[in-house]
Amino acid sequence: MVDLSVSIGRGAKQELRLQNPVMTASGTFSNGLEFARRFDLDALGALVSKGTTLRPRKGNPTQRTVETAAGMINSIGFQNIGVGALIREVAPTWARWGVPVLVNIMGDTVEEFGQLAERLDGVPGVAGLEVNISCPNVEVGGMEFGQDPATAARVVRLVRRCTGLPFTVKMTPSLSDMRPIAQAVQDAGADAITIMNTIPAMAIDIERRRPVIGNVFGGLSGPAIKPVAMRHVYLVSAVTDLPIFAAGGVTTATDALEFIMAGASAVQVGTATFRDPATPWTVLEGMRAWCDEHGVKSLGEIVGAARRMD
Amino acid sequence: MQSVTLEVIESARLYGETHILWLPLPEAFATAQPGQFVMAYCGEGYDPLLGRALSFHRTRQGASGLEFALLFDVVGRGTDWLARRERGDELRLVGPLGRGFEPRPNVQRMLLVGGGIGVAPLVGLADRLVEEGREVTLVLGARSEAGIFPASQLPPAVELIVATEDGSAGERGRVTAPFQRLLPWCDQAFACGPNAMFEALHGVVRTSQTAKPVQALLEGVMACGMGICYSCAVFPRRGGVKLVCHDGPMFDLRDLYA
Ligand SMILES: Cc1cc2nc3c(=O)[nH]c(=O)nc-3n(C[C@H](O)[C@H](O)[C@H](O)COP(=O)(O)O)c2cc1C
Ligand code: FES
Repeated sequence: MVDLSVSIGRGAKQELRLQNPVMTASGTFSNGLEFARRFDLDALGALVSKGTTLRPRKGNPTQRTVETAAGMINSIGFQNIGVGALIREVAPTWARWGVPVLVNIMGDTVEEFGQLAERLDGVPGVAGLEVNISCPNVEVGGMEFGQDPATAARVVRLVRRCTGLPFTVKMTPSLSDMRPIAQAVQDAGADAITIMNTIPAMAIDIERRRPVIGNVFGGLSGPAIKPVAMRHVYLVSAVTDLPIFAAGGVTTATDALEFIMAGASAVQVGTATFRDPATPWTVLEGMRAWCDEHGVKSLGEIVGAARRMD
Repeated sequence: MQSVTLEVIESARLYGETHILWLPLPEAFATAQPGQFVMAYCGEGYDPLLGRALSFHRTRQGASGLEFALLFDVVGRGTDWLARRERGDELRLVGPLGRGFEPRPNVQRMLLVGGGIGVAPLVGLADRLVEEGREVTLVLGARSEAGIFPASQLPPAVELIVATEDGSAGERGRVTAPFQRLLPWCDQAFACGPNAMFEALHGVVRTSQTAKPVQALLEGVMACGMGICYSCAVFPRRGGVKLVCHDGPMFDLRDLYA
């Protein structure tokens, strides 16, 4: 049977080994507790938590989501219980699970990213971090951190200093070329790169003559954005040695394998889970079956396969 | 919460723009309570992408076992697709979801209030309460007669009171007036309808200074229905934030508006 395992933070203080390349995407799986009784979470590669901030937040006004053609727009605005409650109330449960959990963190300032990283360092149940410098749905910070290489590097250097945990940095697709940010993030000490967060978007209600989303703008996700994410993965994987976690419309094993062949080492399933809660597992089974059928012994054999013609 | 694919037994327009689908009740839904809901996935491809949240309407004994129904208005592409399902067509659902109505065990007089398609979960609740030997009064409101659930489809023991805005059936006006009259009579009340209706009902409760419990079944804009996306937020007046699909959809009216 194919070896699907993926390693991040190789050579770092703490290495994180994922038994397979299928993870849940931040904000699309809450903190996993809702699904723990019904689904075999331990069969997945990793879970990524809901975006977590220093203090609890109620999130944005409603309406927070709208369906679009083969996709959806969301503006949740970081409704979360805050890092303190996460450590006290949720992490102890994660510590009993076999599946590693990465905490998605978002600060309003560069310093807050450091404080979050520091608080989560060494917490049992927290296997790593996903540093969110790409959220389109907050007034301060958010994706601004991810649009300028120098700012992105400052965030990453600080997080690196504040934690021994392996971490990935989540990129925004709001730039046509992510490569300068990816390089800055790699040089500053990240262990992996997540491509990508949602695409800034909006929708209009013609009867009310108003934007549909309460906060006016939101982020587009789902099958509609897969081709955009594919291109970013393809471009960035050419300029970095870091493992890439691909997110953007992954719904089937074929989608996942496309991302792997574009250069990703793992995939995150997001919006597709809303349509069918079993999606992360069917993606995983499908990938395994495809690899076995095609004589692929280890995932590494096909990572970036589509790029070999360059 | 489980995912099931079921074959449609019966599909019909029941009244006005309102459609009913009968499906076999799967083992996975055997514990479903009135007020709980399913996500129904419409269309074959990725468009429409997300499920539609639909309450359990009622159950019945069919030719080959228990059946349950979904009752919905055709309001968009998803429900239009649903309404065009025919006997034998497959439908994928996830459920049962959320927290349903919780009738108190030892009380007798039950007041049910529905606005528009909010009648859907109340019929199943009325069935249940009548079966338990309780007294049920159902108040239904709609813009006109075309939006009122047919009396012939209700258990005979249910007392039905109708209010229409244009006066084409029952009394002219909204459900607020009959609710106000009947609140002193009842031991417990249950309501489902648009958010504006709940505000009006709470106004009645506040001015009548009663401590009678009113359980409200809320609507929210849902993406997942499973508590994992945080789309369906509701902000209780006292503060904080709740998820309609996960903390509700049943809330105590007072916990929302007081
Ligand atoms: C409802 C919703 C909430 C999200 N919340 C977060 C979040 O808190 N932090 C984050 O980094 N990304 C968040 N995302 C982005 C997803 O993790 C993912 O990057 C994006 O949706 C693309 O993947 P998909 O097309 O598979 O959904 C959210 C997406 C959705 C749809
Ligand atoms: S609809 Fe997703 S959390 Fe309620």
